[in-house]
This record gives sequence, structure tokens and C-alpha cells, in this order.
Amino acid sequence: MALTTSSTQTMTVNGWAGRPRRSRRSTASAPYLFLVPAALLFIAMFVVPVGYSLVLSMRASTVSGGGIGVRTERFVWLDNYRAVLSDPEFFHGLLRMVIYTLIVVPIMLGLALLFALLLDAPAAAAKRFSRISIFLPYAVPGVIASLLWGFLYLPDVSPFNDLLGWLGLPEVDVLGRRLAFGAVSNIAIWGGTGFNMVVLFTSLRAVPDELYDAARIDGCSEVQLAWRIKIPLLTPALVMTAIFSMITTLQVFSEPQTLRPLAKTISSSWMPMMKVYRDGFINGNPYVASAGAVILALGTLVLSLGSLRLLQRRAFAEDR
Amino acid sequence: MRPTVVAKSAAVVAAVALLAACSGGGSSSGSATAAATGPVTLTFWSWVPGIDKVVATWNQAHPDIKVDVTKPAQGDELITKILTANKAGNPPDLMQAEYQALPTLLTNGAVADVTDYVSSQESAFSESSWNLVTFGDKRYGVPQDIGPMMLYYREDLFKQYGLKIPTTWDEFAADARTLRQKDPKRYLTTFSSGDPGWFSGLAAQAGGQWWSYDGSTWKVGIDDEATKKVADYWGGLVGEGAIDNKPMYTPEWNKKMNDGTLLAWPSAVWGPGVLAGIAADTKGKWAMTALPQWSSGEQKTGFWGGSSTAISAKSKHAAQAAQFAVWLNTDPGALQGLVVNGGIYPAAPAGQSVPALQSAPAIMPNQPDFYTRAKEISGTAVGFTWGPNVNVAYNTYKDAFAKAIQSKSSFSGALSTIQSATVDDMKSAGFKLSG
Amino acid sequence: MSAHVATVSVGRAETLTSARGPRPPWQHRLLPTAVLVLGAIYCLIPVTWVVVAATKTPAELFSTFTFAPGTRGGLFSNVNDLSTYRSGEYWQWAVNSAIYAGLGSLLSVAVSAAAGFALAKYRFPGRNAIFTLLLGAVLLPQVALAIPQYFMLSKLGLANTYWSVLLPSILSPYGIYLCRIYAAAAVPDELVEAARIDGASEFRIFRSVALPTMVPGLVTALLLQFVAIWNNFLLPYIMLADDRKFPLTVGLYTMLNQGADTPALYTLVITGAMLAVIPLIALFFFLQRYWTVDLVSGTVKT
Repeated sequence: MALTTSSTQTMTVNGWAGRPRRSRRSTASAPYLFLVPAALLFIAMFVVPVGYSLVLSMRASTVSGGGIGVRTERFVWLDNYRAVLSDPEFFHGLLRMVIYTLIVVPIMLGLALLFALLLDAPAAAAKRFSRISIFLPYAVPGVIASLLWGFLYLPDVSPFNDLLGWLGLPEVDVLGRRLAFGAVSNIAIWGGTGFNMVVLFTSLRAVPDELYDAARIDGCSEVQLAWRIKIPLLTPALVMTAIFSMITTLQVFSEPQTLRPLAKTISSSWMPMMKVYRDGFINGNPYVASAGAVILALGTLVLSLGSLRLLQRRAFAEDR
Repeated sequence: MRPTVVAKSAAVVAAVALLAACSGGGSSSGSATAAATGPVTLTFWSWVPGIDKVVATWNQAHPDIKVDVTKPAQGDELITKILTANKAGNPPDLMQAEYQALPTLLTNGAVADVTDYVSSQESAFSESSWNLVTFGDKRYGVPQDIGPMMLYYREDLFKQYGLKIPTTWDEFAADARTLRQKDPKRYLTTFSSGDPGWFSGLAAQAGGQWWSYDGSTWKVGIDDEATKKVADYWGGLVGEGAIDNKPMYTPEWNKKMNDGTLLAWPSAVWGPGVLAGIAADTKGKWAMTALPQWSSGEQKTGFWGGSSTAISAKSKHAAQAAQFAVWLNTDPGALQGLVVNGGIYPAAPAGQSVPALQSAPAIMPNQPDFYTRAKEISGTAVGFTWGPNVNVAYNTYKDAFAKAIQSKSSFSGALSTIQSATVDDMKSAGFKLSG
Repeated sequence: MSAHVATVSVGRAETLTSARGPRPPWQHRLLPTAVLVLGAIYCLIPVTWVVVAATKTPAELFSTFTFAPGTRGGLFSNVNDLSTYRSGEYWQWAVNSAIYAGLGSLLSVAVSAAAGFALAKYRFPGRNAIFTLLLGAVLLPQVALAIPQYFMLSKLGLANTYWSVLLPSILSPYGIYLCRIYAAAAVPDELVEAARIDGASEFRIFRSVALPTMVPGLVTALLLQFVAIWNNFLLPYIMLADDRKFPLTVGLYTMLNQGADTPALYTLVITGAMLAVIPLIALFFFLQRYWTVDLVSGTVKT
């Protein structure tokens, strides 16, 4: 394909003469055609199931006629929603979810930021080892991670309690009531910090050195540099990681679910997503489960849009 | 030029459709005509270890009825998968159905009535075994294995601490307290908030009847007097600190069983298999005896677990499936395979005398008459009727008892929680309840 | 664990460990290094544990100190037991994981590249609406989507097939976002216009102009989706009934939850988990330079 050198000319379709003009239609329809696979999958794998979920949430299956009876499905409209919203367990779960998110997201991003800054600073050594190690938990699936930490938590098999024992300190039951939150949060933080660190670190790396040289000449220390220059530059990245972390954390499920058989403190509705799972899969009631899921999705949507709107200007420098 | 994009998209869609058509045979069992002749493939979902070996011997002998066995999930989770698949229209032909799950499967239209297919097999099982798969005069499965409960204890440690082998629950409690006095680091056993099946067997031994059914109306009695007695008994011991309060089947519990922190285990006839897996160091140190009784001289026990082979109501080859199910659970060769590979205790008397059960289990070589004794005990086992929402009751059990242990509140209070949750669920599902 | 949308920055190619400014004397290097190393060790604890635990025989697992390696040749016997479990099913699971993740991520990147390119390089009505809609797909939790997807695929006769896991895994809003941002930054408008002038079809432009310049971003999108599918548990758990089609995550889970009358196969699960994590770690090591994920494009350019 020959490249013309007339890149400084702004070529518009109308400015062509004497050449067989490609129809505007083909250029205009191209984007839609490129989007066809994504659109098809979106409709098939997302829109249809969501619609089905909404329909399910408004139905119920009841038995009629005595004894074993005959099962029929019928519309109950908002009854399932009423059932979910009037269940105190649901609100306890919501509260826990909010607290959990408020614990996990700041700590995880705070650590990710700290490590990213350290990786970018000239002072630190052992960077390669640290970067790979901190990123490693990303390779471990949630179910497996919870099992591994479960072994490390259970008092009788935990090396930490062995250590405490040697030091003469009393045994700690990490899965007991007071610390259960910490136990679950730890798994999420352990698993997510590395990835966020890499995101933030890459943003930092894109900043050319010249920006810092001027500050250094003026006598800025590394810490001041980090605080005054690097962090503000990272704000858009921080905002985006915060929002996506928040969305994932609000949907926490596999960590507490896997720890549940090991700990007495985690009930089957400890987190809202666990309640949805329990209703749908254990109690065999996909109707109430769908209602719960719709409520949670709406809540997440509101929170995400709200946060994004609040921080929109800082997140996107320019939108093409 | 332009059409290529459209063409390529169309090609992708067509390819997907083509693959759909080709690989659609994974779950359902085939054509619409229920042919009694011609080769047939049956799908079978089961979690019994090593059952694929047993099925292989059937497949060799019956090339016209091929059984494809897979293991999608375990126990409760398998039931959930079956219900979901049933709703979606592609359930397996044959399924491993625990006895307590049969009413749930039945009310969801997931199991077939097999009364006619098994009528010739009446004598193959005892009446109490048949009762486990019978509901309202109709049979819904072929019994496979049973789990009569019995007590396992560390012979060596009982001698060391001078503990009496308990024949009543009072003696058991006394042993628990004595042990704690002599060695505060050990416990006689643990109460598990994670094993409702275990508790249901103990309740049945005391005479509990969690569900009853008179043909059209249900009655729920999870908090009846007998069960309350059992709950308060254990609650008292846990409250005193006389027994441990951590769940079973955790790495922690495995360790305690292995190193002698726990001295006894009320369990079922399949216990030695589990012990071999988790407490290999304790070979030769465990002995088995009957469960302690509520009154001296009584001889009763309950069931913990046990399952049947059931057939899907939507199966297009019910007759062939029934043929396989009957073979699997009555043929001595099949039962020998199930015992050796799966560690089960067959419900069929013919199965109880297979070669594998003539010698002591591997981890208990010190008790050569283990299975003879087990057979006696299993004759005294009683179960109770299961209701259509056992999953709800079991799940609430886990939550309620965990909470009771955490907050040191009464165990019979936990029973009330389970009772009301179960009743509410049945009412909202439309079942007729009395009382 | 959180997954993110990301872009790749178009700055200079920085090496990831080049020094940034003057190195201070060693006393000032202790603290930052210590913090980093502490973080690294903390992240490595469970990984170290699983490697050590895999060397223990079942009897040793619950009787020896946690971090003391096994002394009875446990690793060999564990791997052996794992390989003979249900006639080598573990390795079938590994192959399945590779198929789901490999094929799934390739198809996903193809779809994402096309969609991202379209969203980046064309102005058309509905552009922002479509983009927002696609991104909105991350808001609905998978737990809720799983059952309806299962019912739908059952009706098509696709449940319990490889496609039942692949199809839902192809659409990746993150991948589309990433490809869009990368295309916007990396594909030069001038080249596109020039190609158009020369009469190339839009698809030709996509294939010959856009894709080559998007390669680093595509590789990142591929890796992200590969890991996401490899680590996915819920989707295959719901879709599959045939355990010979399980990926590693579901397989290990079923080995763990065996119910009351068969004990959990802890040593097998631990050994299996260790072996399952190795391919991803290798992926990280060898493709380090592609793990540069930047969220912002255009704020700082050379």
C-alpha cells in the first residue's frame, strides 16, 4: 500500500475529485460491522440473561394440592423483592459489605500506591524480586487462595499460632467473631494489591525523568517528589483502579464462601452475594435469588455512576 | 471488499451454530423415540469414588446399554445441579440421590416412579431399606448404601486415661468430664455445627421425627421432645467445656484426630475409610462399639448418610436405566466393587456378605469382627421421614448452631430457629401444614 | 481480587528497572528496600506454604511443623497419587484449562480488537452509548448471570460442552476498553486516512494498519483475559456436569468438597493447586515486558 506524503493536508471525503470515490456508506457502516461480534455476544450473553433474570425475579414456584403436590410457576411481581428487602439478614449483609469495601479498597490501593512509588524510587533495591513476588498472588484463583489462607488461619494447623506459642503469647483465633472480617479482607488485599501496583507503576513509568529533574534541582527530596508530583500525576489511574476495585469488592463471594466450612462465624448470608447464591443454589429458589441479584446490581450501578460522576473530570484528561 | 466483514461475521455465527449442533450431545441422552431395542447410552451422575470401575464392568457385559458416569459434584451440591438441570430440560438418566434428598427431588418432578421396575426385587432389601426410598406407597429409587451410626474410640487412650467404654449417654458425658480433668488438652469428641446429617442420626436414635406426612398434610417436628433432648445434652457438654465445639472435616479436625487430641468419634459404618484418609498414624488404635444409648439396655441407632440410585422423571430410557440400577445395587460383583473402591456399606444383605467385608477394615486390624458387629448394629437402625425442603433445614442448621456455639446460647433455641425456618419455607412454597 | 481495565501508554520504551535519578547512599536505601521486601515476603507466604505442603505425605501434613519440608518423599508420591486419581483426570483438567483460557483469550482479543478499533477510530451515532453499555456489563455479578446463561445454553443444547464455557468468556468489557484506548493512542490517523485514499477496504485497514500497531496492547489484553479465564471457577462450575471437561479450578474444588463419608483429599488438592499455579507464574516471568498496564493515555506524551 503506498503511503502518500500529504499527511499535512486535511482530507475530507468531499475534497476528492477525479478519483472514484468510495461511497460514504461503506465507511459509515464499517464501525457497526466491526462491532457485530461484540454486539452479538453482548446480546446473547448479557442482555438475554439479564432479561431472563428480571423475569425470574418476578415469578415464584409453588406447590398446590396436598402432599407432594404439583409445582406451578406463576408471576408474583414484586413479592420476591419485598421478601428480600424485609429480611434483616439481607441488611446485615449489606452493612458488612459496605464495611468490608471500606476496609479493603483503601488498604489495597494504599499498599499498591506505596509499592508502586517504591518501585519507581531510586532508593529501593531488590525491585525485580519484589515486583514479581507482589504480583504473584494474581496467579492464584480465589477459591485456591482462600483454601491456602484457611490452612494458615486455622488455629491448630497455623504456623502463626505456633509462632505466637513460642513467643509465649496466647493463641489467636483469626476466624473468630472479632477477626473474621480481617481474615477475609486479608485474602482480598493479598490477591489484589499486586495487580493494582502494576497498573499504578506503569503509569509512573510513563512519566519522563525531565519532569523530576527540575524539582530535584530545586532541592526536592524523593519523598516530597512522590507526594507533590507523582501522586497528583497518578490521580486518574488511582480513580479508575478505585472504582473497579470497588465494583469487584462489592461482589465479594468466593473468599467467605470457601472459608465458611472452616469457621463458625460466617453464616450462609454473611455477604449479600452469598445470600443470592444460597437462595439460588442451596435453597433451590432462583426467583428470590434473582431479585436479590437485581437489587445488588442496581446498588452497584448507583454507587459506580455516582463515584464516577464525582471524579469524572479527574479520571479522563480528554476524551477523543 | 465490503462484504468480507459481513461474510466473516456470518461465518462466525454459522460456525458457532454448527458446533452447537455437533457438540450438543454432551448432556441429554439422545433421540426422541424411546426405543426399547437398539443401543442406548445412559448418563449417570455419581460421586462414589471408583464407581467408574464398576460401571466399566457393566459396559463390557452390556454393549447395548452403555452407561456414561461422571462426577459433577458431591452430595448436596449434586442435588442442586440435578434440580437445575431438570429445570433446564437436560437431567441425567441416573443419579446418586441421598435418601434425604428424594422428597426434594420428588416435589420438583425430578425422579421417576420405579415401583414397577423393582417389584421383582422385593426380597433383595430389608423393609427398613425399602422405606428409605418409599414415599406414599411408591418407590423412587434403588437403595445403595446405608450409614448406621456407631461409636469409634481410641482403645489405647481410653486405657491410658482409665475411661469406661460408654454404653449410655450419661456414661459418655462422665467420660468426657473425666478426660478433661485428667488432661485439659484433650477432648472426648467435638460437636460439629457443620454436619446436620450427623445430628439427624442422633436425633433419630432418640426417637425424633423431623417430618411426618399423612398423605396430604405435612407436620414438621424438628424441635420435638426427643430432638430437644439430644440438643440440650450436647449443648450442656459444650457449654461446660467438656467437649470441643469445632466443626468436623477441616484441616484442624484432621490433625486432632491424627494426634489423639480427640479420643472418640460418633460416626457411621463408613468411618474407617475416613480415618484411613485423615489419621493414617493411628492404625490399629481405634475400636468400634455401638452408640451409647439413652436408656440402659436399649439397642437403637440412627443413620448418617446413605444414598440410592434414582432415575430421572424425564429419562427416555427408564426401563434400561432401572435395569442398570438394580444390577448396580444387588449384583454381588458390583457390590464388591462398590465396597472396595467406594468404601460404602451396602444396603442389600447380599452385599453385606461380599468378600471385601469379611475381614477388618485396613485401619482397624485389631477388630477382625468389625463387619459382623456392624451388621448387628445396622439391624437396630431407625430413620425418619424426610421432608421436601431438607436443604433449607440443613443450611439453617449450620447457621443456627454456629451462632449458638459462638454466643453460648441454648442449643434447643437453635432448634426452634431451624423449625421456624423450615415451616416458613414450606408454607411459602405452598405445602399444606398442620400443627 | 480485582481486575481492571487498562491501557498501555505510548511513552518511550522505559525498561522497568532503570534507575530514576541519583542513587542515595546505602543507609537511605535500607528502609524503602525493607518495605518492598516485606511486602514481597507477605505475598509469598501462602505460595511458599503450598510448595512445602506439597512435599509432605498425608500423614506428615497434619503432624509436622508447617514450614518444614516433608522428608518421606512426599512430593513424588503426591504427584503420583494426583496423576492416578480417577485415571489421570487431573491432567485432563489441566488440558481443559489450557483450552478454555487459550482459545477463549484468543477469540476474546479478536472480538475486543475489532470493537475497540471501531470505537476509537470512527465517529458514529451511538458510539458513546454502545461503549457505556458494554462497560456496564461488568456491574452485574456473575453469580446472578450464571443460571440464566445456563438455561439459555441448555435450550440450545450447548450446556455441558466446551462452548458453554467459551462463549460467555469471549466478551470482555475490559478488553474492549483496553483495545479502544490503545487503538486511540497507537494507531496513527494519518496512516488510516492514507490507506483509505488508496482505496483499501475498512477491514484491510484494520488488518494491515491497525492490528500491527496495536500489538503490545493486544498482548496485554490477551494475557489479562487468559488469567481471568484460567482462574474462573463459577462459570464452568455451573455449566459443566461432565467432570472430564472441568478446568483445574472446578476439579480441585470437587476434590476438596467430598462430603462426609469420603475425606477431603487435602494432599492431592494442595499438590494440584501448586501445579496449577506454575503455568501462570511462568507466563508472568517470560512475558514480563508485556505486563505494563497503564490506565491513562495521552496525559503524558513524549
